[in-house]
Amino acid sequence: MAAASTSAVDPAKKMIMLTTSDNIDIKVEREVAERSILIKNLLEDLGSEGDEPIPIPNVNEAVMKKVLEWCEQHRKDPPATQDDDSDSRKKSTDIDEWDQKFMQVDQEMLFEIILAANYLDIKALLDVGCKTVANMIKGKSPDEIRKTFNIQNDFTPEEEDQIRRENEWAEDR
Amino acid sequence: MTAIGLSFSTLPTEILQAIFEYLPPRSLVATSRTSKRLKVIADQPIIWRYYCRTHFSFWDSRHNIEAKFAGPLSDVDWRALFLERMDTEKKTNSILEEVIATQRNQIANITKIASFGYDAKHTLLQHYNVDDDAEDVLARKYYSNAILERIHREMAIKVWKDLGNGVPIDIERALTAYDMFTLSTAKGDFDETRADLDGLAKELLKENPGFQQWTTREQALALATFLRAREFKGVSDASYSALRNNFIGIVLRSPDHESLPLILVAIYCSIATRLGLDARPCGYPFHVYGLVFSQKNKTLDGKDLSSGKSQEVMYIDPFRSEQEVSEETLRKMLRDMGVPDPEHYDYLRQSSAREVVLRTARNIMNSCQTIRQTEAASNRGNAFHAPSWISTYPDLDNAFYGTLWAMLILGVQAEDSGSIISIATRRRQYLPYLCEHFQQHFPWDVTLVEDYVIPLLYDMPEGQRLLQYANRIHASDRIQKPITARTARAASVKYKVGHLFNHRRYRYEGVITGWDTRCGASEEWIRHMDVDSLSQGRHQSFYHVLVCDKSTRYVAEENIKLATGDVRPSEAMLKLAGRYFKRWDLVNGIFVSNIRDEYPDD
Repeated sequence: MAAASTSAVDPAKKMIMLTTSDNIDIKVEREVAERSILIKNLLEDLGSEGDEPIPIPNVNEAVMKKVLEWCEQHRKDPPATQDDDSDSRKKSTDIDEWDQKFMQVDQEMLFEIILAANYLDIKALLDVGCKTVANMIKGKSPDEIRKTFNIQNDFTPEEEDQIRRENEWAEDR
Repeated sequence: MTAIGLSFSTLPTEILQAIFEYLPPRSLVATSRTSKRLKVIADQPIIWRYYCRTHFSFWDSRHNIEAKFAGPLSDVDWRALFLERMDTEKKTNSILEEVIATQRNQIANITKIASFGYDAKHTLLQHYNVDDDAEDVLARKYYSNAILERIHREMAIKVWKDLGNGVPIDIERALTAYDMFTLSTAKGDFDETRADLDGLAKELLKENPGFQQWTTREQALALATFLRAREFKGVSDASYSALRNNFIGIVLRSPDHESLPLILVAIYCSIATRLGLDARPCGYPFHVYGLVFSQKNKTLDGKDLSSGKSQEVMYIDPFRSEQEVSEETLRKMLRDMGVPDPEHYDYLRQSSAREVVLRTARNIMNSCQTIRQTEAASNRGNAFHAPSWISTYPDLDNAFYGTLWAMLILGVQAEDSGSIISIATRRRQYLPYLCEHFQQHFPWDVTLVEDYVIPLLYDMPEGQRLLQYANRIHASDRIQKPITARTARAASVKYKVGHLFNHRRYRYEGVITGWDTRCGASEEWIRHMDVDSLSQGRHQSFYHVLVCDKSTRYVAEENIKLATGDVRPSEAMLKLAGRYFKRWDLVNGIFVSNIRDEYPDD
């Protein structure tokens, strides 16, 4: 890369190596990789120059590339604020345009991204993933939700009836 | 594709929980109905507590919700609590529809919603904020607001009742009760006022990092300086008698913070208490000072107190300055007023919360009187003016009504000097005003009168009479209103329910809410009003009308001059008309009747 000559000056631009679960090495700029708090902490703990490849045993190459694509796009985002009363505010499911496009993947990949974001500790990406799933559920009936996610109905008809009665308040609007 | 490998229903619990937090409750319930595992996760209390926290801005005090939120998650069945609130919401919605739809059982229905207390507030506010082009916009706004005000009043009355029963009540709370009487849909209730005061205390500590180490005197002066720097410095003579100066919540939220000395000192003392100071209002003649006590056995400057006294005191006058006022100055002024020395203590001691409430009642009554006199003077000319209640903030009548309740509940106490007889007499004196007021403006307050007034008059003839009166109101609430149809007999009745008019002689703006084919008033009224001197006398149609000054009157047809052309109802009229009408029909220039159960053909 042409940036190689400047990497010595700017540590954020320095390239580091990640090794995925399927044993593939991926080269990435340190600043991009540090969107992951897990990787950031690992780098700090290791105190190394990042010359050693960092093993990421829970994420495969395909998912890792997708996650890094997101990190690249959001590399300059301000760090997540620790809002103390996040628990007392209604959460919005608004997603910005780029992220919406980014999340247009098949369901398995979507869930893989969510799990990877959770494991790698990338809160903003985890949020986008959860919002995407929530938006797939909103406004749907139980049957439609089952169809969307291929969920096996394991209730007996009696149980189903019982639950429906318990939740009558949620029916009308 | 998702059958093998990763799928939604096999996601780890923590991930599903994170997703569920983005779902509205109805979608969560739908999800929980898809499979057993999802149901177990969806039923976990943490998500329902989150829903409780984020869905409801107002909680009735019986829930003690802050303690519940602060306590362990498992102490509360959060799902059940959420469902209870949803159920209340549903009931509030359906009962309100009934209130709007029919006059029958109106009082009973309003009382039902009011019994939900603050739990109904959010729903009522939603109805209040209905679109302007809604078919019944005026009625919906009117009744949602009326019920909300009824709830606010009961909260205020409860505070005063507790105070009267010797329950310790903060001065800020005792005074915010007046705000509750005039709050309507605005901000500034008990919780919001408390939060405003908390905020000021926090700001002061932030600005003065060493505050906790200072002496009592330094702290007391710093607080006065802090308040005055924030424009909390009383009010000019020009706007001294403005009604709003009496309301602690309004003063805290207004940009200029203009207030009477009493309210300013109450704010001072409330913040002082939060900062660990012992400060109380002192009810001096024509002024209120703040009285700050030293710590036990210490001087105000933090030294050990050697004299026999256990505490020192200092006087603060945040209304006029940041400086301390010496006791000697105050005594000298008392002497100049002709108060003999032995009586000085009465004016230099701390006032109780009850005394502060009563003094405010008198201040509010004075303001109301001034406003009414000004209105009367300006109406002396011929032209009819917009009624002052619409331009007065807060609402004049509600403020006045609040003082009547305060006086009735707190004005006379068993421990006051005087025999039982004189206590009864003094209570009696507010009763006619209170009855007149609620009967005219909010007949649904009859249940408040039953719950909070009649017990005070227990064993007195007034109590019995009031009880019978209340029973009559309930009885007529339960029955269908008599129907007045447009039969042949009514052919001569020219105007309809909903017509906007001006009185020919008095010019006021009114709207017709009912009619008789001939004067139906008593002989005494007819004679008193000199009805027979009208050109058509008593044998003409008479109309029940609602006037924009909030009064209801009975007017002869010949005195009615219909509003013509593109005349629109005034703002005051639009606010009041919802009691009888759905909306203003712009095309036909008439209010659309909401009392067809009484006048089916109008």
